[in-house]
Amino acid sequence: MVFLRRAEPPQSSSALAAASATQSSSGFLPGALVDRPRLSARDISVYYADVQAITNVSMDVAQHEILALIGPSGCGKTTLLRTFNRMNDSVRGCRVTGNVIFDGEPIYRKGVDPVALRARMGIVFQKPNPFPKSIYDNVAYGPRLHGLVDRQAELDEVVEASLQRTGLWNEVKDRLHKPALSLSGGQQQRLCIARTIAIAPEIILMDEPCSALDPIATARIESLMRELARNHSIIIVTHNMQQAARVSDRTAYFHEGHLIEIGTTDQIFTTPEQSLTEDYITGRYG
Amino acid sequence: MNNTIDPERLRQRLADARAERLQASLQRRHRKEAVFRGLGLGAVCLALGFLAVLLFTIFSQGMSAFRSSHVQLTLEFDAQRLGDAGSERERLEQYQTWLDEALLRALDAPESRASAVRPLLSAAAVYQVRDRLEDVAARPGGRATLWVLASDEVDLIQTGVVDRAWPEAARSLSDQHLAWIDRLSEAELLERRYNRAFFTGADSREPEVAGIWGAVVGSFLTLVVTLALAFPVGVATAVYLEEFAPRNRLTDLIELNINNLAAVPSIIFGLLGLAIFINTLGMPRSAPLVGGLVLTLITLPTIIIATRSALRAVPNSLRDAATGMGASRLQVTLHHVLPMAMPGILTGTIIGLAQALGETAPLLMIGMVAFIANVPSGFADPATVLPVQIFIWSDSPERAFIAKTSAAIMVLLGFLAVMNLAAVLLRRRFEHRLK
Ligand SMILES: Nc1ncnc2c1ncn2[C@@H]1O[C@H](COP(=O)(O)OP(=O)(O)O)[C@@H](O)[C@H]1O
Ligand SMILES: [Mg+2]
Repeated sequence: MVFLRRAEPPQSSSALAAASATQSSSGFLPGALVDRPRLSARDISVYYADVQAITNVSMDVAQHEILALIGPSGCGKTTLLRTFNRMNDSVRGCRVTGNVIFDGEPIYRKGVDPVALRARMGIVFQKPNPFPKSIYDNVAYGPRLHGLVDRQAELDEVVEASLQRTGLWNEVKDRLHKPALSLSGGQQQRLCIARTIAIAPEIILMDEPCSALDPIATARIESLMRELARNHSIIIVTHNMQQAARVSDRTAYFHEGHLIEIGTTDQIFTTPEQSLTEDYITGRYG
Repeated sequence: MNNTIDPERLRQRLADARAERLQASLQRRHRKEAVFRGLGLGAVCLALGFLAVLLFTIFSQGMSAFRSSHVQLTLEFDAQRLGDAGSERERLEQYQTWLDEALLRALDAPESRASAVRPLLSAAAVYQVRDRLEDVAARPGGRATLWVLASDEVDLIQTGVVDRAWPEAARSLSDQHLAWIDRLSEAELLERRYNRAFFTGADSREPEVAGIWGAVVGSFLTLVVTLALAFPVGVATAVYLEEFAPRNRLTDLIELNINNLAAVPSIIFGLLGLAIFINTLGMPRSAPLVGGLVLTLITLPTIIIATRSALRAVPNSLRDAATGMGASRLQVTLHHVLPMAMPGILTGTIIGLAQALGETAPLLMIGMVAFIANVPSGFADPATVLPVQIFIWSDSPERAFIAKTSAAIMVLLGFLAVMNLAAVLLRRRFEHRLK
């Protein structure tokens, strides 16, 4: 695995300086902005106590696109992803500056209810974390919580549809009321995705959703993501270069909390402009 | 210095010595392991040995208290004389006369005086007769056979606690009494039977009618108060500190104080209860209400600490999952974190209550050590509790209370065992439900 060879890149700091220099005078990297963005990060910095994990990140997410966040481990991908739906609020000592604009509204502002925000922005975690309840109750949790359905029949429909879309329905339809924790790892992760899409979020955040899965389960989730991208914007963190190349429309490369380069996946993987990006993609840096 | 190391020679040397050194090192390790295991086993055996001695002593002394000596008497009433008796006192005297007559008949000693045979029977025997045979006595020519309580002195002879071989002066029963006891035994009119009074009565000056029920009810009422206050307050405190409170000087200080509170000697809480609940707030002395309040103070830190560690054991991924679905902090806690932590919380609570059940010193301070001959019927009634009852009996001069003390300890241990079993079962059920 590439990232196990953690040799200090010789040209790291100078390359970082070079990368910073490419920021335009307006402060945006080329390719960071899109027309009619769905979600925009503006000058986001995140600190854990005194340690800065993210430094001045600005970028856009377009409607119905899959954006991949890549970079060596510890570079702040998870941290950034969690700032999008304010999951960091509950982390002790975590502080965010800058802002995230969602549908034209800044989300880091007094008067914004993070609970309402998270109902519109689902998140799937690295480790499958179904609730210790039945399969049915897992998927039904969100709709019940937000009062999205009035009748039991309607709820049944939502549960079935969500499980159908994640390809889990046929595997679990006979044991909907069995504990979710009795499923396999891949099934649990698809259940978590079904749980997320059951509340019809506009944006889905995914943090290395396939890192614990085998290739078959991974392939199912990737095809599911392409399917979901027809209606949702997806931001996915991944360690897997092939996965980023396969599923994403655009890719952003991070290094030590800095956004180094962002562009179409084709461009990033075939003609990266930054040497840091190139080193990482070709496996010289891990 | 010669610094040149030939790597090949070094490798060879190590390889040669290897087997030998490994052997020696293994032997050393095995020896250490054997010593360690021996020490551990020894410690366990010692602990078990002490436990066995303790249990044996308690059981061998206490079992006899579950039975008590009874004398079978045939009473011949006279409804006419009962009708003549005016006051309750006179009626009771009448019953006493019939009882004396019946005993004299049974002893076949009509020439003896009633006062001479009375030490054979319990002072409570006359009440037994009155309560059980009131109807028969009111009937013309009424006649009935009844097992009545013998005195504790007779019971001590029967159980061998007081040795017949002792000189007469060292016993409270004379040689004549012993002869009568033998006569009754031969006629099968004297028997050790199930001691109902022990399980249904409250404390008494007469050992043969002293019972544990008053203390059991007192303990129960006290624990109800404790549970009703300590559980919600303790869990709410722990949930607030663990899930909601910011981390700052103030919460650190609170945490420190709670941990210290757990180490405060319990008698201090008793003094506090006396000063605040009784002297300042004017609550009744010796009442389960005040006892429960004091025990709440003692149990709170236990419950808070157990709940906090149970909450901390809930993985953050579960909180993340619920938060990410758009659940509020309160919903995350109520829907997911608390149910998952519940087995730990319940175990902590039951352990706290078991601790409260065995607490004695603070209850002495608030007057639950008084002699209380009635079973309490409310939270404000004077009451005592099991461990205090044990303390009172162990402090009583009558020999017959020795067996009562051990029997009461058995009852207390029984309740503790049941509570611990309940903790285990609850835990299992919850864990089963979560899977
Ligand atoms: N809860 C936290 N408290 C303190 N530091 C954290 C916390 N979470 C992450 N970090 C630090 O922030 C940096 C970025 O972490 P993370 O976002 O998890 O990286 P990635 O997901 O890219 O591997 C790391 O240096 C990590 O040690
Ligand atoms: Mg990560």
